[in-house]
Amino acid sequence: MTIDSAHQGAVEVSDLNHVYGANGQTRKVLDGISLKVESGKFVSIVGPSGCGKSSLLMMLAGLTRPTSGAIRASGKPVDKPDPQRIGVVFQDASLYPWLSARDNVEFPLSLRGVDKAVRRDKAMDALALVGLEAFAENFPHELSGGMKQRVSIARGLVQDPPILLMDEPFAALDEQTRISMGDELLRIWDKTRKTVIFVTHGLSEAIYLSDEVLVMSGRPGRLLDRVEIDLPRPRNLEMMSTPRFAELRELLWQQIKS
Amino acid sequence: MSVEQRARIARYCLVGALVVLWELLPRLGVVPELFLPPLSRTLQALVGSADEFASHLGVTLYETLISLVFACGGGIVFGLILGASAAMRGLMLPIMSGLFAVPLVVLYPLFTAWFGIGEESKIVFASVYGFLPTLLGTAAGVQTIDRHLITVARSMGATPFQQIVRVYVPATIPTVLSSLRLGGALAIVGVVVAEMLTSTAGIGFLISKYRTLLDSPHVFAAILLVLFLAITFDLMVQSLERRTLGWRRSLRSNELAPSGAGH
Repeated sequence: MTIDSAHQGAVEVSDLNHVYGANGQTRKVLDGISLKVESGKFVSIVGPSGCGKSSLLMMLAGLTRPTSGAIRASGKPVDKPDPQRIGVVFQDASLYPWLSARDNVEFPLSLRGVDKAVRRDKAMDALALVGLEAFAENFPHELSGGMKQRVSIARGLVQDPPILLMDEPFAALDEQTRISMGDELLRIWDKTRKTVIFVTHGLSEAIYLSDEVLVMSGRPGRLLDRVEIDLPRPRNLEMMSTPRFAELRELLWQQIKS
Repeated sequence: MSVEQRARIARYCLVGALVVLWELLPRLGVVPELFLPPLSRTLQALVGSADEFASHLGVTLYETLISLVFACGGGIVFGLILGASAAMRGLMLPIMSGLFAVPLVVLYPLFTAWFGIGEESKIVFASVYGFLPTLLGTAAGVQTIDRHLITVARSMGATPFQQIVRVYVPATIPTVLSSLRLGGALAIVGVVVAEMLTSTAGIGFLISKYRTLLDSPHVFAAILLVLFLAITFDLMVQSLERRTLGWRRSLRSNELAPSGAGH
């Protein structure tokens, strides 16, 4: 294994600070965030609402520039969006309503001018991965909330980036769909072994999915703790009622509450 | 029978009644024929002078078509720029809104001085007349699109140009179409009004000419042609609007959905 491929998919954040200024008032959003995510890990970030976890994700995606600090993904600095390195899946409303599911998935490829036939093949592969090849020609308004999010995931994965960032991707879904989407995501992750950084406000969801959970404090967002989730894989729903799961949940809850 | 069906039937009845009244009122002497010639005599005038009407309709159509290209094309392009750029908006939008409030028809005599009384002055006037509402509507449409759609495009590496062409343009199509309807209708009005004021050809010119000759049937025949032109244009835009109906609804519901928390 070369040094390069060892870095592939790793994410490193050092001393990240972000100050948001408007109308002469400044507000510290992120305070001295440093973290390391190993390649192929599933890591969740939890914290009270407004703690800056989504802002942090936007910076990891290269969409927002931090006031200071450094972000490296796959060994290279992140200074602008780079969908071949980092795929992003947003909360909702992120599919283009005027494009079919397949055209939505092809969108990032077409931005790069990828050949039409290649584009189509890759999009169909990505849709097959999320189990939606039969819905390729359907438009977003014809799909359910869960299906739309699966198309979003397919779009995030279509360029096969080693890193996938997810910003509360299932927050707008109902409980039942959310749980089945979690299993679906774990299945995809198991198959592709991407590095996943998953922002959520659901503690159970974070524990159920992750190898590690990073806990953030309220504003200004600081990293409070890093909790290793030692539940065996593959995960299943029964684990949610084990004492260990409850223990982990309590541990996270106590930190977020304080 | 649904409410819509009943409304539609009532609407047809109303139009039918108006047509019948148009024929009957002058025939019964309730309204002098000079003020309102019967529909049959209007149609006779239309058929009787078909050649004249056709050639003048051609002039009006040509002027309208060119004006639509300038008014709608220009309005959409500049509306997109104004909507997308805060700096341009701050600079230009108050001026444009101010201009829109001015009755531009007072400028028409100037336009004839600058561009002559031929087609050019009509095209320029109608273009300006239809340009402003199209521009303002498009700019407003760009400003109200879901910013999230742009963030998503950026995350996928879209350049600013790609953001405009691939996201702003399709996302604003619904508002662009409704401003197109308004702007286009005004461009048609602009052409006809300009022709009525000072010209040598066109449907507006015919209206003016037959009015001075006190030939009401021909005046009304020309008015029918203008109506026909406006309605045809409106139906065309409506059919375009219908094609985007499906996803337009979902675009609206997206706007109502909560955006990402904690940004």
